[in-house]
Amino acid sequence: MTQQTQAAASNANAPSNAGARNPVLEVKDLSVSYGKVEALTNASLTVGEGQIVTVIGPNGAGKTTMLSAIMGVLGSKGRVAFDGTLEVVPEVERMVARGMNLVPEKRELFGEMSVEDNLILGAFQRYRMGKRDHAQTLEEVYALFPRLKERRDQHAGTMSGGERQMLAVGRALMAKPKLLMLDEPSLGLAPLIVREIFRIISELRRRGVSILLVEQNARAALQVADYAYVLETGQIAMQGPAHALADDPRVIEAYLGFGGKHQAMLST
Amino acid sequence: MDAMRILMDEHQSLAAIIHAIRHMIGEIGAGRLQPDHKLLEAMVHYLDAYPEKRHHPKEDEFLFGPLRARTHDADAALDRLEAEHADAEARIAVLEAAVKAYAQDPAGAFEAFKTAFNDYAAFYRTHMMTEEREVLPLIRKHFSAEDWERANAGFIADDPLSGTRATARAGEEDFAQIFSKLVAAAPAPIGLGAGPYKAD
Repeated sequence: MTQQTQAAASNANAPSNAGARNPVLEVKDLSVSYGKVEALTNASLTVGEGQIVTVIGPNGAGKTTMLSAIMGVLGSKGRVAFDGTLEVVPEVERMVARGMNLVPEKRELFGEMSVEDNLILGAFQRYRMGKRDHAQTLEEVYALFPRLKERRDQHAGTMSGGERQMLAVGRALMAKPKLLMLDEPSLGLAPLIVREIFRIISELRRRGVSILLVEQNARAALQVADYAYVLETGQIAMQGPAHALADDPRVIEAYLGFGGKHQAMLST
Repeated sequence: MDAMRILMDEHQSLAAIIHAIRHMIGEIGAGRLQPDHKLLEAMVHYLDAYPEKRHHPKEDEFLFGPLRARTHDADAALDRLEAEHADAEARIAVLEAAVKAYAQDPAGAFEAFKTAFNDYAAFYRTHMMTEEREVLPLIRKHFSAEDWERANAGFIADDPLSGTRATARAGEEDFAQIFSKLVAAAPAPIGLGAGPYKAD
């Protein structure tokens, strides 16, 4: 274990993303139970302005549960402070109105609607608040995803998996979020598209978007992230700067081991 | 470490291209996909140009050279890797000739292209495995703070896909743009299906 992660791992649940300036999101001791089963236990994390923070961990570790609780989709115990304001009980609509946006694992697009209509729906909350800048935002999203512009009149339901993921991210960007939360953006996508999606995630950081990225593809996530948390069986097991975790033997063995994703790409 | 991050990132990009070509060859062989020869040629060109012009030189200058100065533990592996880097041009030339021959004679040259590609992919897998399994652990073990500083600076200064050199210099190919074009043109589900590929 490296010195950096050793220190961090000994205090795994402290929100010690010390490099985070102007925290956009501060989560402290967040717990979620499904009946008697505790799916998330005292999880704490911080996302700084303009940072990409990733939560990696195996399937069933509680990653999606964590995002859902932060967003207010699931009831939880603990504290969620977003953009400097403590949310005693996070509620989805209020969180969206305040600038938090979640791209769910299943994309949840409107398949019978066109690509452009799906995108415009993403700006609905801003429109309702009197902000009528969706035409300009649409052009920004099209600049980031030229393929969406090419298919603007196509039904979303006819698009490929990679296109649907781009549309889901594009729709979230239409809300001009202060915090974009991405739940498994690489799930089910071919390696070529995964590379492109992660390149775009890096580009979003360059544009100042703060991102909380939940991923099973630890290798890809640690490459783009500034800070990382490892979630195992509902608890933060390790945390540290992403590059330090990427060099940590425990992470390498459990999540990045050679014979992992890109070697599989080469041999299958 | 930025050098490690960028190195692994580049390996993944190369692996993703190899995965895509393998997928297309499988689909073409099964009669489920019409070949897009320009796309195949562009992907093979990427395998040639990207490692040669950007990836291998950084490895040799900022990682392998300094490691030799620190330890002899890696000498055998580094001798092999540097020889492979030196032979890369001849190796990729075989694949480039095969993909061109396939475009000219789709029926007669498919199997030869498939064989040339499989040989290249097998070579590259071994090459990356040697780097990641044998050499990178020794770099982590032996590099000094100064070595890391220099390596990180060298890799950050040339991070073609996501970093400071995302925009190509005059006369250089813009690999980020090429990669995006390949993703867009590749057939679903491996790409976005906007093909056929159009060269600039």
